[in-house]
Amino acid sequence: MFEAFFMAISPTYLMYMTIGVLLGLVVGTLPGLTATMGTALLVPFTFGLPTGEGIAMLGGLYVCAMFSDAIPACLVNTPGTPAAMATGFDGHPMVKQGRGQEAIVAACFSSALGTIFGAACYLLLAWPMVSVALKFGPPQFFWLGVFALTIIGSLAGKSILKGLAGAAIGIIISCIGISHAAEVNRFTLNIPELRGGVSLVAALIGVFAVPQVLSMILNLRKEEYVAEYKPEKGVILKTIIKVISAPIHFLRSGVIGAFIGILPGAGSPIAAIVSYNEALRWSRDKSQYGKGDVRGVTASEIANNAAAPAAMIPLVTLGVPGSAPAAVIAGALMLRGLNPGPELFGTNATLVYSFGWSLLIAGIVVFFIGMLATPILVRIIKIPLRLLAPLIMFLAIIGAYAIRNNVFDVYLMLVIGLFVFLIRPLGFHPGPIGLGFILGPIIEPSLVQALYISHAVGVQRVFFSGSVSIILISLSIISVSAVAISRYRSRKKIDAT
Amino acid sequence: MKFSYLLKGITASVFGAAMLLTGGTAQADYPCKEATFIVPYSPGGGSDQMARRLVPGLEEALGVGVNIVYKTGGGGAVGFSELHRSAPDGCTFSNTVVPNVIISSKGEGVGYKPGDFEYIGMTESSAGTLMVPKDSKYKTIEDFIAAANENPGMLTVAGTGGSGLSRWNQLESVLGIETTYVPVGGGVGKMIPMLAGSHVDGAATGANHATKHKGIVDAILVAGPNEVPTLPGVPNEPDWNYVITWGLMAPPGTPSDIVATLNAALRSAASDPAVQDALTKGGYVTHDMSVADVNAFMDAEIAKYAD
Repeated sequence: MFEAFFMAISPTYLMYMTIGVLLGLVVGTLPGLTATMGTALLVPFTFGLPTGEGIAMLGGLYVCAMFSDAIPACLVNTPGTPAAMATGFDGHPMVKQGRGQEAIVAACFSSALGTIFGAACYLLLAWPMVSVALKFGPPQFFWLGVFALTIIGSLAGKSILKGLAGAAIGIIISCIGISHAAEVNRFTLNIPELRGGVSLVAALIGVFAVPQVLSMILNLRKEEYVAEYKPEKGVILKTIIKVISAPIHFLRSGVIGAFIGILPGAGSPIAAIVSYNEALRWSRDKSQYGKGDVRGVTASEIANNAAAPAAMIPLVTLGVPGSAPAAVIAGALMLRGLNPGPELFGTNATLVYSFGWSLLIAGIVVFFIGMLATPILVRIIKIPLRLLAPLIMFLAIIGAYAIRNNVFDVYLMLVIGLFVFLIRPLGFHPGPIGLGFILGPIIEPSLVQALYISHAVGVQRVFFSGSVSIILISLSIISVSAVAISRYRSRKKIDAT
Repeated sequence: MKFSYLLKGITASVFGAAMLLTGGTAQADYPCKEATFIVPYSPGGGSDQMARRLVPGLEEALGVGVNIVYKTGGGGAVGFSELHRSAPDGCTFSNTVVPNVIISSKGEGVGYKPGDFEYIGMTESSAGTLMVPKDSKYKTIEDFIAAANENPGMLTVAGTGGSGLSRWNQLESVLGIETTYVPVGGGVGKMIPMLAGSHVDGAATGANHATKHKGIVDAILVAGPNEVPTLPGVPNEPDWNYVITWGLMAPPGTPSDIVATLNAALRSAASDPAVQDALTKGGYVTHDMSVADVNAFMDAEIAKYAD
């Protein structure tokens, strides 16, 4: 392991990993260019490099994209990748209050911490963690999705019912296309493009970016900028101290991120959502969440970054990638004739460990590069709205197109965006709809698979037995009842006054 | 934003430079300035790896750059129908997977029939394999059959969607057993942890996956008459008709001389010793087919799934 460490700090490793980090900064910042697309585009350029350097570069891109996707999420309320959706819940209100620099610094520093935490798990706890991951089968994934849905209680705003309806809309839209199990066309209206389903990235861009742009245009006469930009001295140090002085918050977010990251198919977006929800649950003062609480940003960013190195754990232990970018890295290894999994661990453990160290060091590099870039990036909000609105629209269209190279996704993005813009005045929030998009593809196939299995062994045994299921069910019940109780109390308070 | 533009510029110029390096001069008998390789499955998956294995050889043989474009979704249907709509000039081609291209065409409103395409060639295939977790109670196919007979319908077997279902049902009728099929969508990646964690009793997919995941799963039965060299000692079921074959295809109506050029390029790319070696070690059988061979092969396959 120490040999691997010295490999990872060799100048060539550091150089290529840093190039990866710089590319990740671009990839994550542009909505539509996800970490998956970024790594896939980079793979051919790593062929000329030795394996270690090549995957260090890909890993650097991956972890940095998990930070930089927070930049558009905070500044213009459009997540750069699905993983940053929860970051925007508090990050964007912070920017609106003129705390843009604080939001980005917090995102950057917590991303760095999250990456280091995830990489430490990769280096030290890979095997014990993966044995827990294997306990997750279809019913457990179903309950995890249900548990993640309980965050609606905190996102819904005034009406829980509208929150639930929003999530239902999101889940139903995510069901469009050929079903996972029986390969039946659903809601495809005989349009061939819809058979492939609605692209998550295009849909999220629609939900967040389009209404944002439209309301910018509507308010053009009233506001000239997204928010005020006030550079503040010492904000970096102050923010870092704020993050460090909450070690329990950090550990909780890191553990959630790392555990959800190792589950194949769950990944960073769900890690961020669950972590955000837990941060809210365990905070004494919940009043500021959703209105610009820095803990919302850090909870999401620590978790989605911890999930990135953790997604490599099932890859190196089982040979099964934990996320889509991890699948691309797996492909890059296999093209070199290496078989990631127990075989590679057995024959070339140094390579496996040096990759872990590279990811850990990438966390540190992300922090410094992020700090250098922040003062420039924050100035995005100094662009007047009449220029910023078309710019966001331009990037949204490119992003929706780029994800599958399909112009149909652009139309879908616009339709979904217009729809969300129209129902927003009725009290529907984009958050629950986006949540439905992200969770639908986890909940639906796992529910169907679990039901198939229950043909053989019975519904009760499939869904309601096993420690993982019981824990997730209990957490969901606690979560729902906590929301119900607090809503009941606050309503009583309003009635009393 | 300015900063990211700068980076974008740098990236673009790096990409551009690389394009120039890979470009070279176009050969007389290949009319395109560059070629587009549609991968109908996700980055990192089997078809993506196949494309990336072949691209260097294809670029050399065709004398132009080959760009990979992902068109994912619908079990390959999105990419296949995109190819179907593409100009038949030989500048665009895609992976093809048999039987997926045949079975996916049966959906309503897909807009293509497997017989429409111009097939360039098949390069590799893998036999269907029944796998169990390493610590399974069922060490052999006999254990598995005995357990299935004792409790009909109680064993669960995962497979890939609808094509997996038709192949599994066929094995069930050959063995005279009854089990519960659990369809897995979106690639085999999700099936392996399900099996390794014993959430299902078995899984049926290609021998290439059984080879790759030897460390965590055991193969107990292989389809067809031939032993798979990477899975020594695993018994065969000659009557189990389950082979997955990979190749390349072009849009309907692509002129036959261009198909012949592409066929030659594909065969030279696939015959590279490194490619052959990777495939053999990976549990595949390699193929070298002329255009006539591949058309005969496709006719037979389409007939096989005609019901």
